[in-house]
Amino acid sequence: MKAQLFQLTHATTYHYQSPVTVSHHVLRVTPRRLPRQFRLEHRIDTLPVPATLSHRTDYYGNEVAFITIEGAHRQFTVTSQARVAVGPAFIPEPAETPAWEIVRGLCGYDRSSAVLEATEFTFASPSVPLDPVFADYASASFVPGRCILEAALDLTARIHTDFTFDAAATHVATPVLEVLGNRRGVCQDFAHFALACLRSLGLPARYVSGYLETIPPPGQPRLAGADASHAWVSLFCPGIGWIDLDPTNNCLPSMRHITTAWGRDYTDVSPIRGVLIGSGDHTLSVAVDVIPLGVTEIPQRAEPS
Amino acid sequence: MSGPTTQPAVALGGNPPPEGGHGRCFDECFSEPATARPYRQALFDSLDRLGREGLAARAENARRMLKELGVTCFVHNERAGIDEPWQLDLLPLVIGSEEWRELEAGLIQRAALLNLVLGDLYGKQRLVRDGFVPAPLVFANPAYLRPCQALAARNNTFLLTYSADLARTADGRWWVMADRTQAPVGFGFAMQNRAVLSRVIPEVMRDLQPRPVLDSLRVRRDALKHFSPGHTDNPVIALLTPGPRNEAYFEHAYLSRLLGLTLVEGDDLTVRDRRLWVKTLNGLRRVDVVLRRVSDAFCDPLELRGDSLLGVPGLLEAARAGNVCIGNAVGTGLLESPAFMPFLPGLCRHLLGEDLRLPSPATWWCGQTREHTYVREHLRELVIRAAFPPNGPASTPAALDTAGESALVERIRQSPHEFIGQEQVRLSCAPVLTGHEIDSKPFVLRVFVLHNGDEFVVVPGGLVRVLETGGDGLPPIPLIGLSKDVWVMPEGAGTSPLPHAGSAPLPHIEGASSDVPSRAADNLFWLGRYTERLEEIVRSARYALGCVGEDTDASSQSRLGPLQGILGRLGLVAAPENAVNRISLIQDLLSLVYDEEPAEGVRDLLQRIHLAAFSVRDRLSTDTWHLLNRLKTHAQPRPGGLPLVGTSGTLHALVLDLAAFSGMEMENMTRGHGWVFLDMGRRIERAIFIARLMEAVGRSGRCLDWVVEPALEIADSVMTHRRRYFTEPRLSSVMEVLVEDASNPRSLAFQVACLKEHAALLPTGQNPDGVGALRVLVGQIDDCLGRFSRAGTGDASTAAELLPSTCEEIAGRLAALSESLTEVYFSHISSRVS
Repeated sequence: MKAQLFQLTHATTYHYQSPVTVSHHVLRVTPRRLPRQFRLEHRIDTLPVPATLSHRTDYYGNEVAFITIEGAHRQFTVTSQARVAVGPAFIPEPAETPAWEIVRGLCGYDRSSAVLEATEFTFASPSVPLDPVFADYASASFVPGRCILEAALDLTARIHTDFTFDAAATHVATPVLEVLGNRRGVCQDFAHFALACLRSLGLPARYVSGYLETIPPPGQPRLAGADASHAWVSLFCPGIGWIDLDPTNNCLPSMRHITTAWGRDYTDVSPIRGVLIGSGDHTLSVAVDVIPLGVTEIPQRAEPS
Repeated sequence: MSGPTTQPAVALGGNPPPEGGHGRCFDECFSEPATARPYRQALFDSLDRLGREGLAARAENARRMLKELGVTCFVHNERAGIDEPWQLDLLPLVIGSEEWRELEAGLIQRAALLNLVLGDLYGKQRLVRDGFVPAPLVFANPAYLRPCQALAARNNTFLLTYSADLARTADGRWWVMADRTQAPVGFGFAMQNRAVLSRVIPEVMRDLQPRPVLDSLRVRRDALKHFSPGHTDNPVIALLTPGPRNEAYFEHAYLSRLLGLTLVEGDDLTVRDRRLWVKTLNGLRRVDVVLRRVSDAFCDPLELRGDSLLGVPGLLEAARAGNVCIGNAVGTGLLESPAFMPFLPGLCRHLLGEDLRLPSPATWWCGQTREHTYVREHLRELVIRAAFPPNGPASTPAALDTAGESALVERIRQSPHEFIGQEQVRLSCAPVLTGHEIDSKPFVLRVFVLHNGDEFVVVPGGLVRVLETGGDGLPPIPLIGLSKDVWVMPEGAGTSPLPHAGSAPLPHIEGASSDVPSRAADNLFWLGRYTERLEEIVRSARYALGCVGEDTDASSQSRLGPLQGILGRLGLVAAPENAVNRISLIQDLLSLVYDEEPAEGVRDLLQRIHLAAFSVRDRLSTDTWHLLNRLKTHAQPRPGGLPLVGTSGTLHALVLDLAAFSGMEMENMTRGHGWVFLDMGRRIERAIFIARLMEAVGRSGRCLDWVVEPALEIADSVMTHRRRYFTEPRLSSVMEVLVEDASNPRSLAFQVACLKEHAALLPTGQNPDGVGALRVLVGQIDDCLGRFSRAGTGDASTAAELLPSTCEEIAGRLAALSESLTEVYFSHISSRVS
């Protein structure tokens, strides 16, 4: 299988106003191993050197690192570096996918492990409440009997058109109802809104966090550290599996999207969450580089996604 | 509810329960109106022997005992919250041995069942896949905590304590109204109720011989040891409390003291190297077992809810690494969802191969189509409740108007899996003693099932909460309100009486931790400072009110001016302007005693003392707690009638109680680090006060002759002076008594000597440099005092000249000492989520 090879660097630095004696961090920055995503290398480095660094996989199979920094520190930097090869996504013919009501009907009755796993993503979650207003917005796309992927692509396109990308409009905890009201936000807000629409119709959809290769404007060089972590959604379609949708860019993620983690919403998969013991405020800086290293050949793996 | 009894000679004639609109409910006492059930007769006969007056007197005893013991329940109100006294009805709920046997078997079965269900849902989830538990019950349930998935419990025991709220329904059977699986409240209150009744009505207890419950404390303690991850024979067991503002904080402190646990708040604990530690004065000490009273979602701000810091960041990671046992396991609140109830009979047959013994009210979970339809069609016969926590109050559709009803139907239609419909239950009534009469009131019985390391055992007793005006018995049932003890009759009742059954002492439990958490030391230090400060204020006010009370004629007012000057310099009253104003002085003094307004006035200090003491009440003896409670009652509002007379009475009482408190502390507290910090607080406060008093004296210029005597009075050293000098007090003699005389416990020199001794005992812990600096500071204070003594020897005028500046310097250094102590030992800076 042809795959795009990337060098990925994600550096986060906390500057603390006054010394912090102990800090604990939970990281979800390791790209997942998937049938079409090959992780060739990955490492996490921190400064100061951690007193504790342990790895595990979480409930959703995401890789988690737990880090404790001890001793007074005013700055904490964590750098995740990976080399990842991403193959093309399988995208079914939209008109050949089942009607969306069939998918809704299946969840809740079918207890086969794939459907049961998907059913978990039909409910409200901490950042994605369910509400008839979301179902109302979605129903223009999800007309009765429409093929689920056709409807979903239409929904993604409408979100892309109706909403303005505006990094100043929201913060990490902006409620999705407010996003709907303002029609502005960033990838995280668009993903949460898309999830609220899909789940309010009873469809299983999950939040995906990862990275996106950005392409500089024509004639301009790629700026170092200018990339960002990204978020999109994934919709379950019985017999096919999970299909990724990117409402921010109105596209079907494939070889330019690197998947790190998935969950019900941002709260399940935030890249870094920390608790520190100390007083004073802190500032945060993040630098992400997704550098394409060309196309390579990877072996197909049979592991289910 | 009921009229007076018609049998004046009998204290307990009793009244039948009221006829309800929906037919009769079960009554605990009367099978037919006014006919006592046979197994209650013994109780009534025994109580009857006490007589009507005797019974009322015992009830009053119980009330006073609970008040003095400081058994309270913290109730939040619109201002801040208040400690409400715990209420205990004199009449216990009596349960026959046969009936209890059945209940016991049902409870053990239910605890075992719920434990197995938790093991599966937080493990392989076969029950979901095989259809025994519908997926939404878990996946849509906010109480299902994904970070706790696969976080194995020690010995597969998720429930160290299980508790059920039971109600007896019209058919006389016990029904489970609610399962409490995360951090059940009430075990400590139940123990306390029994301890009080055994002292208040010992003869009744001897007559009935209820099964003892206080042994359960030992079961609890042994089991907690058993669950230690096992790196030591003498595990450290902590009780994690949300703090003094939690409604059941009394119980947390009470159980910690009885079980020898270290009472901690989240801030006292820290995770290092994937292990859990408590911050003590001696540095970090490993914690092996946590008995938690913090709810599931708040246990670890790193992985669970980040908006609260009641828990410990990294706690789940420590549990995941197998380095600490948390009881109950985090996540166990899942089964408090009432939506599980209809599935328990099937689960019981599937997992245990037997029928579920204890019934629950018929429950329909609307996540199923047929059940949803049933609920919609029978709405008015049912109670509608949230399927998942947090379970707000239930709504009773029968009480709704048409609009309210259709709104409810629509809400259910939108997310049916979030609702259940439940059969309405009529609770049984129990007799309740009100004044001289017996009332009949509905109640809910909470019972406790403990895991003893091998199996579940049921505490043969419980906690009854009496509901006012026919509550439905559904959660949330507030802790506050009338409670009852529960007496389970022994097997084969009527055997030989047990010796001293009436006053069984609490089992002695060894091994209480000697480590003092930093927060506890902080509170003890301030308890010392505040009680001392209160004493200073009270003595000053008492003396000054005495003076203004005597002096009414203009000539003797020359005394009041200098006095007001001194009190003004001490910040207790407004400084005099030109002439002394007797009226404003009196007003200032009364305000100091009675008003809430002046920060560090009497009422404010009493409040601060109460808070500091409340936070360390697991370390204070019952008698000490009595005293502190009595102190609080002095903070009554300003009396009407004769303010001056009433006020001096209040101040006398305060002086005596404060003296009793310091005597208690001197005679009863182990000389550990806790005491050292309490006494350092007292010494620092007294030394600062004396220094500032003498500075004020030294600066009073031409009024000097008028202020030396008040200074002696305020510093409680009149007798010392009189014994030593047979003259009127002069500045030189007063200076000797209050500054230099190391044998006068009220002198500056005495305080400094004590501080030197304490400084040598301070734990060096992890900050030897900081402790070194503290000792240097104490040395400097001592030097300063020494220089003053040498310079003033035989030279009264030099001494008088040096007095103000020396005192000022010493007071400043003492304040610095207090700050440094805080920095070195108590800087438990709180955590934040980033």
